[in-house]
Amino acid sequence: MLCRVADSLFWMARYIERAENTVRLVDVTLQTLLESEHAPEEDPYKSWIPILSSLGDQALFESLYEDKSSTNITEFLTFNTENPSSVLQCISAARENARMIRDQISSEMWEVINRTYLWIKKQDPAKVCDEADYAFFQHIKEFSQLFQGLVDTTFPHQIGFEFVKIGANLERADKTCRILDAKRYMLQDSPAKDDALDNAQWAAILRGCSAHEAYRRVYVADIEGDTVRDFLLRSRDFPRSVLYCLTRTQLALHAISKCPITHFSNEAERRLGQLIARLNYANPNDLNGKEASKLIESIETDLGEIAVEISKRYMFSEIVDPAEDLEQAQA
Amino acid sequence: MQIKYDTESFFDEMFDENGRPRPHYKNFVDRFSELTESEFNRKREAVNLSFLQQGITFTVYGNQESTERIFPFDMIPRIIADSEWKQMARGLEQRIQALNLFLKDVYHEQKIVKDGVVPAEILNSSKHFRKEIVGLDVPRDIYVHICGTDLIRDNKGEYLVLEDNGRCPSGVSYMIENRQAMKRAFPRFFPKAGVRSVLDYPEKLLSALQYIAPQGKANPTVAVLTPGVYNSAYFEHCFLARQMGVEIVEGRDLVVESDDCVYMRTTEGLKQVDVLYRRIDDDFIDPEVFRKDSLLGVPGLVRAYKKGNIGLANALGTGVADDKVMYCFVPDMIKYYLGEDAILNNVQTWLPYRKADLDYVLANADKLVIKAANEAGGYGMLIGPHATKAEVEEFKAKVKAAPREFIAQTPISLSRHPTYCDEGFGGRHIDLRPYIICGEKTQIIPGGLTRVALKKGSLVVNSSQGGGSKDTWVLYSDE
Repeated sequence: MLCRVADSLFWMARYIERAENTVRLVDVTLQTLLESEHAPEEDPYKSWIPILSSLGDQALFESLYEDKSSTNITEFLTFNTENPSSVLQCISAARENARMIRDQISSEMWEVINRTYLWIKKQDPAKVCDEADYAFFQHIKEFSQLFQGLVDTTFPHQIGFEFVKIGANLERADKTCRILDAKRYMLQDSPAKDDALDNAQWAAILRGCSAHEAYRRVYVADIEGDTVRDFLLRSRDFPRSVLYCLTRTQLALHAISKCPITHFSNEAERRLGQLIARLNYANPNDLNGKEASKLIESIETDLGEIAVEISKRYMFSEIVDPAEDLEQAQA
Repeated sequence: MQIKYDTESFFDEMFDENGRPRPHYKNFVDRFSELTESEFNRKREAVNLSFLQQGITFTVYGNQESTERIFPFDMIPRIIADSEWKQMARGLEQRIQALNLFLKDVYHEQKIVKDGVVPAEILNSSKHFRKEIVGLDVPRDIYVHICGTDLIRDNKGEYLVLEDNGRCPSGVSYMIENRQAMKRAFPRFFPKAGVRSVLDYPEKLLSALQYIAPQGKANPTVAVLTPGVYNSAYFEHCFLARQMGVEIVEGRDLVVESDDCVYMRTTEGLKQVDVLYRRIDDDFIDPEVFRKDSLLGVPGLVRAYKKGNIGLANALGTGVADDKVMYCFVPDMIKYYLGEDAILNNVQTWLPYRKADLDYVLANADKLVIKAANEAGGYGMLIGPHATKAEVEEFKAKVKAAPREFIAQTPISLSRHPTYCDEGFGGRHIDLRPYIICGEKTQIIPGGLTRVALKKGSLVVNSSQGGGSKDTWVLYSDE
């Protein structure tokens, strides 16, 4: 497979996953706000800061908007063309990548991306953002699911398929980490320990990962920080947990190199194996409170470096994620 | 639905001068009359939506917002009778043969120049004559492997050649997609219409490409070389690559190694490429030899080409035959190389390069169509009868300053075809671009791209200038 094609497959999948995750976060936050007990005079922006910070978008948002209303934040995350991670920009970028390789992907994959792109271009941003349009969010989520289904059923399960899996799973692992990270920013906001609020926040985090029901099935008891963290980091069977995504990425990488999973044949495989082992064999203490934050932060760094190594090995180019780029420029 | 309108003084493809459908349209007109207007509109909308969703689009440059557009498609097909087609195909075959002989000649002995049939100054001043490849042998002596020759019909119904596109002719994907759309819209009609298929074009193209592999290599690796996703014909490049089952590559995917072979960068390492169907013009194809600032091409490609390590379709340097001044000499070339009279005539053309013609052109500029010798897509031309005085004067000055760079033609009243427009059915001017493939044998694809000037009265059919297209049916018989 051409390196450029591998690169586009990786990014196409990554952008679609990113759009889906952003939509999940916005949707969950808006819903949480609706049911929250915040007094009317309390600033709803406080509830958004953790989300924006975890996405690394807070500074960009504040530079673009004076009025920090929920409507504007929603606009920023969904339709803003200056935010490279907005849903619209993600769908456009996914389509641009797909267009470059439309001879390589199935026509079903291309058409569903193209159709979604045409659809989102026709939406009225004001209407979607003012009314917190549930149908809009649902449409994007369903598009992502449909796309993944089409990849499974219309795209040969060969090397290109593995690059799609790598792109989607790295992005998903990264986003789960970032959502977990959001809790850190929430903590900074609550002066005194408030168990009810704490639980509500953890529940929101689970919902942000569509993990609420899955978690409930494993842990019938209260929603507790340590167990939520453990579940989202280390569940072996929940498809949005970090460990699950990493294991899936590992399978794909080794399917490409044909190197047995017990060994490694390149730096990406080595780094990934190491990270999986660290998560797998983590001391329970490593997953508590402050330590966990450090662990999550180092996972995020590792994920970025693994992506770079994959790119060096297979695409012979430096990986540049426009969102990361912007974050660094602002830092 | 009834197709009825006044054909005025034009040659109409569907109706004769008494307003009766011509024999080869009768079958279609009868069946079309069974269709209700709402059925027709439903089909039309479905077809347009399907073009949009499939992303069968072309790119309009210099337009920030909607840069992609679908090529407007008209559902009334252009139909060509068998005997008419056979005659045209013979004419095209003769023409392409002469052009290939001409290209071989000008890049080797230049006999045609020595014998005074084509003036040496014309050849040497041709913008697309590539001195870099003089003396180079190309595989199987074929230069133009894919040609799209533009034909028009005048008010007597005679087919005339407007120009030859022997560099990177585009539009063939629309020919195929238009046919698919028509088959989906009229599934029951098609089997009975007696229409020849155009759908095997990609296979024919692939075998012609394989035929020019270096040293007749078996199972050569073929790829389509595109300038990239922002090129107006990118859809077509992808379409052809997918239909042929070969890779589509950009310049940055290719590398010429020290062994002067061309490789593509793959996830498994470098892989040799044997034949490129290139859709990048000579100017941009190799910054080592042509334009140094080009980022689209492949440094070293010409080196590999000269060593015979890569087959290129079309060959380098074919643009010299696309030069509109050279076009004037094609009938002479046919006579010179084949000893035959041209079956298809050129449009009557004046060459300001010749003193007498220059005088005539300057005196009659307001009655002529004047074209830049090396522009395409409907750019750089003056339609005298429709131009203002100032525009005419401006063009005259340009012609006077550089007579070699222009040609002038009598405005042709292009034939018209019923087309569904806002006001219902109206006559619109059309042309025809049939596609010719030269491989082991020369094949004219029975059909082509019929372009239609959708603006009332307009003679410009180019997609970049608001033209649309129609499916083109070549029948097995004359009715």
